[in-house]
Amino acid sequence: MIEHCKEKYGLDFLAIRDRLQLDFHGTVRLINFIRQKVHEGATLPEEITAADLEDDRYLKPVLDDDALILCLDDLPEAGKPAAAAVPELSQFLSNAGANGAKTADAPMVDSLLLKNAELQAELEQLSKQFSNYRLAVQQTLDQRWQADEDTGDTKPSASSDSKDSKDEKPKDDSAYYFESYAHNDIHEVMLKDAVRTDAYRDFIYNNKDLFAGKVVLDIGCGTGILSMFCAKAGAKQVIAVDNSDIINKARENIFNNGLDKTITLLKGKMEEVILPVKQVDIIVSEWMGYALLYEAMMPSVIYARDRYLDPVNGLLVPSHANIWLAPVSDQEYLADHITYWRDVYGFDMKAMQDGIFADARPQISPARTVCGTPSAFRFLDLHTIKAEDLVFTAKWESTFKQSDSADQLLLDGFLVWFDMFFARSRVDHFIVPTTTAAEWAPKTDKNEERVAFTTGPFGTETHWKQVLMLLDKTKIKETEVVDGKKIAGEITYATAEGHHRGLTLKVTWGVEGQKQDQTWKLH
Amino acid sequence: MAGEAMDIEVAEQKLKSMDHAEQHYFNSYNHHGIHEEMLKDEVRTRSYMNAIVQNKHLFKDKVVLDVGCGTGILSMFAVKAGAKHVIGVDMSTIIFKAREIAKVNGMEDKITFIQGKMEEIELPFPKVDIIISEWMGYFLLYESMLDTVLYARDKYLEKDGLLFPDKATIFVAGIEDGEYKDEKIGFWDNVYGFNYSPLKETALSEPLVDVVEVKAVVTDPTSVLTLDLYTCTTEDLAFSCPFDLTARRDDFIHALVAWFDIEFSACHKPIRFSTGPHTKYTHWKQTVFYLKDVLTVQQGEKIECSLHNRPNEKNKRDLDIKIQYRLETQDPTRQAEGTCLFKMC
Repeated sequence: MIEHCKEKYGLDFLAIRDRLQLDFHGTVRLINFIRQKVHEGATLPEEITAADLEDDRYLKPVLDDDALILCLDDLPEAGKPAAAAVPELSQFLSNAGANGAKTADAPMVDSLLLKNAELQAELEQLSKQFSNYRLAVQQTLDQRWQADEDTGDTKPSASSDSKDSKDEKPKDDSAYYFESYAHNDIHEVMLKDAVRTDAYRDFIYNNKDLFAGKVVLDIGCGTGILSMFCAKAGAKQVIAVDNSDIINKARENIFNNGLDKTITLLKGKMEEVILPVKQVDIIVSEWMGYALLYEAMMPSVIYARDRYLDPVNGLLVPSHANIWLAPVSDQEYLADHITYWRDVYGFDMKAMQDGIFADARPQISPARTVCGTPSAFRFLDLHTIKAEDLVFTAKWESTFKQSDSADQLLLDGFLVWFDMFFARSRVDHFIVPTTTAAEWAPKTDKNEERVAFTTGPFGTETHWKQVLMLLDKTKIKETEVVDGKKIAGEITYATAEGHHRGLTLKVTWGVEGQKQDQTWKLH
Repeated sequence: MAGEAMDIEVAEQKLKSMDHAEQHYFNSYNHHGIHEEMLKDEVRTRSYMNAIVQNKHLFKDKVVLDVGCGTGILSMFAVKAGAKHVIGVDMSTIIFKAREIAKVNGMEDKITFIQGKMEEIELPFPKVDIIISEWMGYFLLYESMLDTVLYARDKYLEKDGLLFPDKATIFVAGIEDGEYKDEKIGFWDNVYGFNYSPLKETALSEPLVDVVEVKAVVTDPTSVLTLDLYTCTTEDLAFSCPFDLTARRDDFIHALVAWFDIEFSACHKPIRFSTGPHTKYTHWKQTVFYLKDVLTVQQGEKIECSLHNRPNEKNKRDLDIKIQYRLETQDPTRQAEGTCLFKMC
């Protein structure tokens, strides 16, 4: 933000502060002075002087619920030592200068050295506090300017009333996206998804050596659970970022658990917040959506990885992912949700069936509905994957399995799910594109360093369920499930048009060379 | 649960500024899953069917208005019962499906579907003989369409016109719910070793829509609101009601449960259904209000309570609910008194 001010507005905040030798109150005055001017729409004077800031009204915050003031509340000790230390320090410096001439005065030197050490410690403490303070100021100003920019560019499009409002749309559905995470329910579901939360906990707690003394970034921290795991595991500093209002609850949770010294919370988009550090050692994030890539949060993780993660030793938690597809045959489901509409209280309601074939549906599918060997079609090494790799076409292949049913089974659709891997290092040669979670990290020993989980139909249910894509039998040719016969094709993941957090999934399939295809939306 | 109802709400708001591709998205099956749930709610749909189809003498040659028609099922029942014409009104895009459905069932000449807000559209008839509507929300009033029904009644219903249904009653009882309260509320005390009390406060302030088993009910039920749809006004939806709950047995009370009954009293043989814990499952389930205290009650003891409900000032669709309770006993250790504030949102 500071850089942003400097480049865009020629406002060198730090230089002004230093030039005017502002103490904490002075800095508060400076911020409010700038805000007041911005608020009034006035331009700032060429050179802000101490006289400009004299008016005591600049001690009064310009913005209500100013993050700055919240920050001062959070850090009650920040103001006093800072104000006291500046004169003390300058006194010390002038003493030290004078001292150069009387080096013979040994006790004086000793006491000065002692004093020096004390002050250095104090200075370190202060600069830490000040960086927190700066952060809060940055965020507030960022929000302020962001708000200005937002009103700036939505106004014309709102008044133009044009159909082609594509630029504006992603913003809208993102707002809805972040809003959807503001409530308790969704976090309760996620926290109570033991497959998910246990996996992160087990990896972090069973590998404390990896976390001890490290700087960790938690992307999309939600209620703060992963940040707190990392803090407990010995991380030196955890920076937790989330753009949803749930972060206010995370702040309370972290304070109540006495971890507020270790965890710094930043509200905002990953691409827009400015971290208090240049580099982090570990990125932990629970970014996975339905069919792995729904919600499109991975690009934010990639952005943060490329910008902040130590490029040599930095670790992503989790580290690898694998996406699977299997053919399914599910007469019961078809009867419940499709055949049902043929006769509803005596009426033909088949019109209600339409979308069922167009939408990929997140739902639990019983293992018995899987009628062929699962195929791992996409392997993601999260340390190296690029944003453009998230749109892809991949091959898959499956062999139909014998069923116990006497009836001839028909292919009714495809099921997609994913496995997640938590490796201790950037490179793990044991994870290959066809590895399952159960193979790589068998659940034998609780204290296993390796952790992995599956969201597939053969594992414990998770809140990700699986994604079911039903074949539109009115348009496609039926495929019989014949034991031992191979079925193969391709699957394409693309960003949904007009809904950038959604997915469009296309599957092609064929037995003995005949190719068919169908496309589904996951919105 | 409530989330799905909200999706449709959001869809409707977005709809206005959307192109066709996106309209299709909001018209998609997933977002209309709620209609499948409602149709498959047998208690609901069958009660309406019986109330309409079994009373052909009331519907014959009448003009019927279906407020919030959804897939059009009630409109089609009315046609079956002999209505001269039915007008189905709904704001949601589901109405396009209703139109298709009426057509394939050969009723397109009998039903006019109008998409829009009741308050903004114009009906092809100045007055209607009967208004049918399935307007009820969780706790009867949450996100309900009752205000729209009352608007339609005042503007369009003939002087001697009929309402289907015409009576609604909210009941309350005390329940023993220790295990589930611990799972839902106690959960936040210790989340993987961490104190999550800020989320506990939120959880306590949100009524829980869920199924309550009849054996959990500790007190006699008491009605706290009865609405006569012919006479009530939107002001009646903000109400205060003092009431007593009498313990049927020695037990603990962790929460109050609320549900509602619906009556079609115009029918030849009155038809009613209940959404209470003592009867068949409905998609409305019941609404549970957890108390701060656990009350220890003995058979025959009375708990003095009051329930205040009003729409939230900022967001009219949200409900602010206050429950006060007082247990007076000879045994001072069991005495309890408290006030709980809830917000349905």
